Amino acid sequence: MSALAKYRHVFLTGLQGALVYRWNFAIRAGFSLLHLVYVFILWGAAYSGKTEIGGFSLSATLTYFVLLLVLQYFLSPANDDYEISEEIRNGLINQFLTKPINYFGYRLSLYFSTRLVTGGLSLLPVLAALPLLGPYLTFPGPEHAALYAIAIPALACSALIQFTIAYCFGLLTFWFLEIQSFIILSLAFETVLGGQIFPLDLMPAWFYELSRWLPYYYQMYFPAALLTGRITDVNTALQGLAIQLGWVLLLLTLATVLWRRGLRRHTAVGG
Amino acid sequence: MSALLRHARIWLASIRYSLVRAMMFRGDFLMWALVEFFWMGANVLLVSVIYDHTDSIAGWSKYEMLLLVGTTQLIQRLLMAFFWSNLFELGRNVRSGHFDFFLAQPGSPLFMVSTRKFDLDGLVNVPVALAIVVYAAHQLQLSPGVGQIAAYGLFVVCGLVIHYSLLLAIISLVFWLQSAKGIEGGYFGLTEFSRMPREALRGASAVLFVYLLPVIVVSNVPARVLVHGFDATQAAWLLGVTAFWLVVAVVIFHAGLKRYASASS
Repeated sequence: MSALAKYRHVFLTGLQGALVYRWNFAIRAGFSLLHLVYVFILWGAAYSGKTEIGGFSLSATLTYFVLLLVLQYFLSPANDDYEISEEIRNGLINQFLTKPINYFGYRLSLYFSTRLVTGGLSLLPVLAALPLLGPYLTFPGPEHAALYAIAIPALACSALIQFTIAYCFGLLTFWFLEIQSFIILSLAFETVLGGQIFPLDLMPAWFYELSRWLPYYYQMYFPAALLTGRITDVNTALQGLAIQLGWVLLLLTLATVLWRRGLRRHTAVGG
Repeated sequence: MSALLRHARIWLASIRYSLVRAMMFRGDFLMWALVEFFWMGANVLLVSVIYDHTDSIAGWSKYEMLLLVGTTQLIQRLLMAFFWSNLFELGRNVRSGHFDFFLAQPGSPLFMVSTRKFDLDGLVNVPVALAIVVYAAHQLQLSPGVGQIAAYGLFVVCGLVIHYSLLLAIISLVFWLQSAKGIEGGYFGLTEFSRMPREALRGASAVLFVYLLPVIVVSNVPARVLVHGFDATQAAWLLGVTAFWLVVAVVIFHAGLKRYASASS
């Protein structure tokens, strides 16, 4: 069996597994429309009597939040960190130590399959609400084709950053019994520094500049900013992509180190 | 009366057990306290960022908004301390069959499910949420009387009951679904509106979130009693809504309970 075929089968099994919970994902995606309603009302009230905030119109800001919601379902790991943690605690990873399959590749294949299902299902409520959302959506025109081209690798890197961070948190189980608090604390950082509560460009310049050097910026804000015209300068976009690639390499190295060191502490029990 | 006392004793015993457990895992307790503190900070930061760019949201000034957000945080910290873990685990336990354990305990299943755990990390952040409310009130130069403060306290308790009821009603859907995965998101989706001034909602959204769902009244009524004084109509509305949603949640839970068929062998 070729290397790719192994992971293709994992991916397909993951798809089936994710589809079992399709109603949960659909309900969750439906509930997320509530978040959009909240965002529309809150920012609509904040823009009252103003044409722009931080240099962006109400439509630009609302488009940013709609896209962020869709990206969240396509890119953010759902339970990967907890599942990895459980597989380590229960000794399920033992089977990967004696078989010719890479655990990172296995989990990454599952991540892609689950994200495909949740991302696809998240589009349903957004599409249903499109007649209402449509008038507020505004995207950069064809003259910004270069930004769209940069956004494609940026999205792939965002997925890798998000997954690898979750993977590293899962691997912390080699050292700690309970990792949930680490995950939730990191989620709080991601939510603020990843631009999920408000677009990062509304923060003071020094804060924005600092956030550009952190991985959270590249988890969600960076591709969303490229696709919604919050970043329009090609050089800034390319510089961002370079930093993002740097974070991908750094996190992949960290994941490898954690896996190797973690295995040294791991004790496999049972047959 | 004796049944009430018995349940109170069980709750106290659960709280004592949870406190001992929290002190056994001090690092974990500190980490969770930090997590909740950071989430509160994120909410305050949102207010700060928006008001850096505007003076008013639906007629509410920055510190009125902070008072509202602080009140919401206060109610949510109390929910986190007393009920969140219990109801969150209800979803998992129904799927795994561990829910059987609660049915075999010496008390009403709903009571046992709701009170088994107590999270000290949620409670230690209650003073922080209170500090946000006090700071906002100070900035607004409010000097509420004893009656206003007592009404505020009562309304916060009503808010706690409403949040509990919403969470219970949503998590109880697990009796009909295969898994609770993601459904608690409905609670967070709905309660986001608690940080919103009532005046920001108009038309259909006002009907839904102000009148049909209790997500605005739960925070706006307590905040208003400090800013504008006691209003009997608002108080009656909040008390009525509290009773109604508690009944709805209990009915949904018991309807679900009838469907429960265990999951273990």
